[in-house]
Amino acid sequence: MDTTVYVPVDGTRAVRARDLTKTYGSGEAAVHALAGVDVDFAAGEFTAIMGPSGSGKSTLMHLLAGLDTATSGQAFVGTTDVTALNDSALTKLRRDRVGFVFQQFNLLPMFTAEQNITLPVELAGGTVDRQWFGTLVETLGLTERLTHRPAEMSGGQQQRVAIARALIAQPDVVFADEPTGNLDSRSGAEVLSFLRRSVRELGRTIIMVTHDPAAAAYADRVVLLADGRIAGDISDPTPESALAGLDALRTLEPNVSTGTTPVVPGAGAR
Amino acid sequence: MTTTTTTSSTDAPGTSPSGVAGSPPKRNDLPTVRYTMAQMRRSAGRLTAAGIAILIGTAFVAVTLLAGNVITRATYDTIAARYADADVLVTTSGNDWREDVEAVRGTEGVVAADAVRSAYLNLAENGEFAYAEGVARPQDDRLMPLDLTEGKWPSERGEIAVPDGVAERLGVAVGDEIDIHRWVQTDPETGDGEEVSEPVRVVGVTEDPYGAYAASGGAVVATAADIEEWGDEPVPGDPFEIAAVLDPSALAGGEPTQAVRDALNSAVVSDGDHSVVTVDEHAQRVSAERTGGEDLVFLVFVLTFAAVALLVAGLVIANTFQVLVAQRTRTLALLRCIGAGRGQLYRSVLLEAAVLGVLASLGGVLTGVLLAQTALFVAPQFDIGVPLPTIVSLTPQVVLIPLAVGTVVTLVAALAPARNATRVAPLAALRPAETLSVRKGAGRVRAIFSALAVLGGSGLVGLGVYLGADGRVDLGLAATVLGGALSLIGIIVGTVFWLPKVAAFLGAIVARTGPASRLAAANTLRNPRRTSATATALLIGVTLIMTMTTGAAAARSTADSTLDETFPVDIMVMPGSSDVPASAVDDIAGVEAVSTVTEVYAADAELPGGEYLYLQAADIEDLRGTVNDESAADGLEPGTVLLSEGQMENLDLAEGDTVDATGTGGETVPLQVVETSNVGLTSFVTLGDLRRLDPDAALAGVWASLAPEAEPADALADVQDAMSDDGVFVTGPAAQRAQFEQVINVMLGIVVGLLAVAVVIAVIGVANTLSLSVIERRRESATLRAIGLSKSQLRGMLAVEGMLIAGVGAVLGIVLGLAYGWTGALTALSIMGEVSLTVPWLDLGVVLVVAVVAGLVASVAPARSALKASPVEALGAE
Repeated sequence: MDTTVYVPVDGTRAVRARDLTKTYGSGEAAVHALAGVDVDFAAGEFTAIMGPSGSGKSTLMHLLAGLDTATSGQAFVGTTDVTALNDSALTKLRRDRVGFVFQQFNLLPMFTAEQNITLPVELAGGTVDRQWFGTLVETLGLTERLTHRPAEMSGGQQQRVAIARALIAQPDVVFADEPTGNLDSRSGAEVLSFLRRSVRELGRTIIMVTHDPAAAAYADRVVLLADGRIAGDISDPTPESALAGLDALRTLEPNVSTGTTPVVPGAGAR
Repeated sequence: MTTTTTTSSTDAPGTSPSGVAGSPPKRNDLPTVRYTMAQMRRSAGRLTAAGIAILIGTAFVAVTLLAGNVITRATYDTIAARYADADVLVTTSGNDWREDVEAVRGTEGVVAADAVRSAYLNLAENGEFAYAEGVARPQDDRLMPLDLTEGKWPSERGEIAVPDGVAERLGVAVGDEIDIHRWVQTDPETGDGEEVSEPVRVVGVTEDPYGAYAASGGAVVATAADIEEWGDEPVPGDPFEIAAVLDPSALAGGEPTQAVRDALNSAVVSDGDHSVVTVDEHAQRVSAERTGGEDLVFLVFVLTFAAVALLVAGLVIANTFQVLVAQRTRTLALLRCIGAGRGQLYRSVLLEAAVLGVLASLGGVLTGVLLAQTALFVAPQFDIGVPLPTIVSLTPQVVLIPLAVGTVVTLVAALAPARNATRVAPLAALRPAETLSVRKGAGRVRAIFSALAVLGGSGLVGLGVYLGADGRVDLGLAATVLGGALSLIGIIVGTVFWLPKVAAFLGAIVARTGPASRLAAANTLRNPRRTSATATALLIGVTLIMTMTTGAAAARSTADSTLDETFPVDIMVMPGSSDVPASAVDDIAGVEAVSTVTEVYAADAELPGGEYLYLQAADIEDLRGTVNDESAADGLEPGTVLLSEGQMENLDLAEGDTVDATGTGGETVPLQVVETSNVGLTSFVTLGDLRRLDPDAALAGVWASLAPEAEPADALADVQDAMSDDGVFVTGPAAQRAQFEQVINVMLGIVVGLLAVAVVIAVIGVANTLSLSVIERRRESATLRAIGLSKSQLRGMLAVEGMLIAGVGAVLGIVLGLAYGWTGALTALSIMGEVSLTVPWLDLGVVLVVAVVAGLVASVAPARSALKASPVEALGAE
């Protein structure tokens, strides 16, 4: 299967999941992290996946990005079925068409901000699009920081470098896993604005996993997940509507018996 | 207990405060022990790799000690074998040895007794010669250590039994007659004598199953009367041995009774000291005497290399523990938070080292014993000439010394890491993980010590070179070796200051080859101290190996130039058992590889002072065409004689002096002295002058030069074949060089083989460091995989890292080795003349390639474990 050339057959859907299932263990001890998920993510949209701890939101993201193997079902990036790819094809997919932003930033400590940002392009053996690089650096406010190493930057700055790194190869979709989890609220708000700007101004597609309603409110759409199933969908969320959606899941909790760990109210993901 | 301690390291310390509070007088170390064991189990894989380093080192020591034992045992057996089944050995002064033998034979309880005598014999047959030790056939076969394989024992004079090797060499069989040559003194006053030859008949073929005469390749057996005639009288004062077989009644538990000992003691006729001992006692005493000599030298020599291997192992251990402590910083800080004392943490790390040291050393001893036993098992299949024991003898030393040394090395190596563990502040537990591993650079004390050692050592080396050039080689070598060791220690201690810079330089070159290489180069510089320690371990082995090969290369080429001066030509044919016949000239010229031939004539001439000078001469044009150094014959013209510096000194002449030489022909020729440094052309005059001195000057030799494309050794063999019937002696620098080469190569092979152990340990160290780095960088590797690093790129990254670390160690080791090799050669070889400082490119290339490939191989296992990390791990929190 060709992974290098992206043919937007369905221009509106960047990522799709079809009956996506992930089961850990077997028999009595089986835990269904994802129990048949069908969901579409539109291109050029900023989508948040929300859900309580153990709802399977991280698992869903890993499967969509081809970082983990599904038990059954399919996940598509564009028209490419990532569940059918082998490791080297997945590596190429991650290089060219998928970007990542991590909770822990995960910058390489021995490289400067600029070296960190351009690393994915270099790994792919390509040349950096200097104009795009300039746009990113300016948009993310990193012009002054390019020669600094991660240890010399604040958490917010590091995460902005990580966002630039995720966008440098102009991927079809960027997955962000709790990008504000390690940041104070001001830096977090800053990072979220940058993510929204890269969608609105740079035309990127971002799928963000979060447990924070305030963070989810920056997205265009919130997909709610509970016990490995899609449990709701909120368009143009506000902090209040996102929180209400989350609370609705919690009140449903006692009625659902899937064998997964009961969720303790108030305990979010780390 | 197993589950609680392995799953959580905080369990054991959790009990620690209560334990301390519960029984204040007795310091409760149990939690420390339990915690340490749990910690070790968690780090089992990492410790195993470090343990292998110690295991190899201790196995080395154990094998060396076992080999020492085997040598002692073999010596003992060989000594004892000579007396066959004798029960007792009477040693006297030998003044009246015949009477002594009779007296022993006459003693009550003695069944048979014989003097242990031998004579050196020169046997000849079919134009071949063989030297052999001759022994008398004893009164009783129980005193005969040899076995008969063919024929019978000699019973009459003129009969001999020869060893199978001698029979084969001379091409004789039972029933053949051969000649025995010996030199007989005819005039005791002047010491004159003549060589006599008498025929003897071979009646038997012997073999030497117990190696009694292994040193001389078996022994010829003859009747006692013949041996007495052929051998020399015993030297008065030298111990004279009489071996005796006793009657069972004179033995108690296999030992001679006190009564028979007393009887023998009083039976001795000779005056002076005498003793009565069993063969066992005798062999033990003699082998103990020998152990003080060669065996000890052997042990010290090999153990030096074992020490190098252990030093390298110690570096690997120290490095491993540093990393382990760094990785455990958070746990250690947590322990401090909940009340663990500094001492407890210190003891915990040392306890871990002690347990590792003991286990690894035990493994080393076991490995060593197995290796030695395997060697003994395999050895008899090769004909080594000496009977070896079939099983290793496990003395307490063989087990205890490696065990103690291995444990101590491990403990000492862990001291610094243990101290680092105590420095972890409790607060560190609260800080984020990333900032923990940062440690400050090396201290000033280290820098000063390193600088002083390097400077002092270099000074000593310089002094050694000066002394060597001055002719005091022993003293010079001592200074050079000491200075070399001191400066190497300084360099090793100081590697942390400069090795990372070299790594950065090499890394910058490597980084251009691609993103994976750039990552690798950056990674090597992340922890300069660790990279330094790892590369240093390899540097030591490479430096020593390179020193040896460089020294050997210098010795080789210096010897070449010396040989060229000693041997003016490629091949020399000289008188052997007969003179050089005139036909030799054509025979030699007929050999294909020979290009030119010169006839050399010689005659004695008397000088005014009464001294005789053996003068040589050859046709000047032939000579110029044949000698290797054409200019060597430059000063030679009618009326001159070439003399060496030494000859001029002896004859009290100076260059330019004229000396009157008088030949046997009666004519006196004035000769002007010209100095030559070419040893081969000393005493040369022109052919015309020689004929004037002695018109009948004989052909004294034929010199030949070889065609440039000829293989010297083969050509020499061809010439020897052409001359085989003439009884002449064929020699040449090619032969000498081949012999010299062989000696150097064998010694170099042994030394490099012994040093290779240190290199193997260092390579394990590289693998260990890479593994530890991989574990530390799990999250980072996963991130890289997530942003598009392919599996092969990750593998490549670690391969480049391994090769870079190994390459840095190898390159620096090679540079240092060249320097040490050259200074060593200057010190030791200056006395031989101009020392040629060559670069052994081939050896250098091999060392570099082996080191880099080893670095590549070392990265295989770490890469495999790095690839197991799925990118998912990068996304999750800690």
